[in-house]
Amino acid sequence: MTDPANDPVLDATRSALDGPGASPADDAAGHPSALLHVNDVRKVYGSGHTEVVAVSDATMAVDEGEFVALLGPSGSGKTTLISIIGGLLAPSSGRVTVGDVDVTAMNKKELTAFRAERVGFVFQSANLVPFLTARENLLFVSSLVKGISRTQANERADQLLSELGLSARAKNLPEQLSGGERQRVAIGRALMNDPDLVLVDEPTAALDTAMGRQVVELLRREIKARGKTGIMVTHDLRMVEYTDRVFEILDGHLTHVEQPSAIGH
Amino acid sequence: MGLAGTEMRRAKLRFGLLTGAVSLLVFLVLLLTTLSNALVSSLVGALEGLQTDGVVYADSARDNIVASRLPAETTQEVAAVPGVARTAGIGTFTSNAELAGELTEVQVFGYEASGPGAPSGLDSGRLPEAPGEAAVDGGGVAIGDTVSLEPGGTELTVVGTVRGAQFNALPTAYVLLDTYAAAVEAANPGLPFVPINAVAFDVSEGEDPAAVAAAVTDSVDGVTGYSLDEAVALIPGIASISQSFGILVGLTFVIGIVVIGFFFLILTVQKMKAFTLLRAIGTSTARLAGSVALQITAVVLIASAIALVLTLLAVQGLNTGIPVSLEPSLVIGTIVAVLVFSLAAGLLSIRRIARIDPATAVGAR
Ligand SMILES: Nc1ncnc2c1ncn2[C@@H]1O[C@H](COP(=O)(O)OP(=O)(O)O)[C@@H](O)[C@H]1O
Ligand SMILES: [Mg+2]
Repeated sequence: MTDPANDPVLDATRSALDGPGASPADDAAGHPSALLHVNDVRKVYGSGHTEVVAVSDATMAVDEGEFVALLGPSGSGKTTLISIIGGLLAPSSGRVTVGDVDVTAMNKKELTAFRAERVGFVFQSANLVPFLTARENLLFVSSLVKGISRTQANERADQLLSELGLSARAKNLPEQLSGGERQRVAIGRALMNDPDLVLVDEPTAALDTAMGRQVVELLRREIKARGKTGIMVTHDLRMVEYTDRVFEILDGHLTHVEQPSAIGH
Repeated sequence: MGLAGTEMRRAKLRFGLLTGAVSLLVFLVLLLTTLSNALVSSLVGALEGLQTDGVVYADSARDNIVASRLPAETTQEVAAVPGVARTAGIGTFTSNAELAGELTEVQVFGYEASGPGAPSGLDSGRLPEAPGEAAVDGGGVAIGDTVSLEPGGTELTVVGTVRGAQFNALPTAYVLLDTYAAAVEAANPGLPFVPINAVAFDVSEGEDPAAVAAAVTDSVDGVTGYSLDEAVALIPGIASISQSFGILVGLTFVIGIVVIGFFFLILTVQKMKAFTLLRAIGTSTARLAGSVALQITAVVLIASAIALVLTLLAVQGLNTGIPVSLEPSLVIGTIVAVLVFSLAAGLLSIRRIARIDPATAVGAR
């Protein structure tokens, strides 16, 4: 394998190539002060002859303020990897660090607090608590962390709802909202506690293309406006144009890092 | 923001139905217990309320005060037994009587003002102090009324009322032992002597009533001694009444707890997706468990309040023929027991919550 960093021809012409970018591991070496470091993460489900290697030797780095995509076909290990990064799932081996905290060294209780304080999640579906209104879904997460006053929380929730074009829907229950509105509420929920990382798993899977684009565009705008770091899992090539960089994953292996412009044309 | 309360407000019908069902069950428990207590108390209240450590009956009475006949001297014989501090005679009989204008049966209890065996539970007025005076439980009498015993024509003036002191579910009149003796003689002219039914005894400081009662049985011919508790428990029918009601109350109680336990389990299983999401975004298991516990507590307390109102109405509205009253200690005890066991049943739900794997909230898995 050629190391692109040591290959002046490939390195110099990379942006012009409509081909593979650098390997994520090599790319990570060039980002020593990144916010997120994933080092040699491996995840094996089951054991014996039912063993599935969902992620193997994943290494990647994401800088603070970046919004990146994790792109790969169904079953390639995207959800597994993002779950490990967000402290929802323990890897079989390897290390994940966010800032100076080692996520993979935390116990259950610390992980729960980590998810509440430092991560904002947007899931594919079933994203909201069904018996809470849009506004209450946002307010609830602020009750999970200490030091946010009621007034602050109310202001922040109203601000987010307004930015997401949901002011008129604040008092609606999830069942009274459209799919796109629900995903927008989930984005607000994810940003409510001012997290370090925003992790988004196939946010457009249940939406049509136009609605999907609108949601991802809003997601990018909110993440960028707040200087957050975001990772969006998707298998939809059309959605990567809203991201800064694209990590490709296939059969559990992170293969390339690309510029969005290099994909889907 | 309260997860528990918000959900209950959004699902009023669901929680309303549960609260209704639980309140009916708590109502049944309270009513059955109250009726059972009232029934038992109307049967044994008189004996239970005697201010004495123990009683002595004739052997031939087979544990029944009404069947017991003793000569007055037995009082002194019992007093001589080591461990006995004081003794007094008790006499009782059932008589027809004109009471508040109606002919009915009454039970008369004679006791010595200076000795053990006086009634407790004075509700108004005072206990008798002179011949012809009586304190009465039941029959709708008031202070100043006259009770005339038939035959014999003994007139008793009511000077006080007592509660929870009936015998055999009859209106019961407490009189001094001399009044009792005079009434017996009036009703049975030519009787060679007036027997007493029992000897009440108090034990000396530090003595065990049951042990002293056994000593009385051993050292006085023809009598059996009982601690007051033993005597009450031996009243015919009491054990089976208490047991039957106990089974009913116990079953109702258990059904109530099972209803609450399963309801919340079903609710928890239905909400698994939401709970999993909540765990994934950083809600602790303790907080989710707490919200279930809070809902159980709210349901039980609201249901108990409704049940209490229903019970009060029922106690007032039902004409059971025996004095029925709701005891605060019973109410509080029942509610606390329902709450404690409901929370225990809620552990079924909490166990499910504790087993949630937050990772399953992600993706479409
Ligand atoms: N809980 C699990 N138990 C066993 N195998 C799993 C589990 N979750 C995922 N897998 C398997 O791991 C692989 C990667 O899954 P996933 O991370 O969900 O991929 P993606 O999100 O890219 O579709 C798949 O082969 C999937 O079947
Ligand atoms: Mg997935």
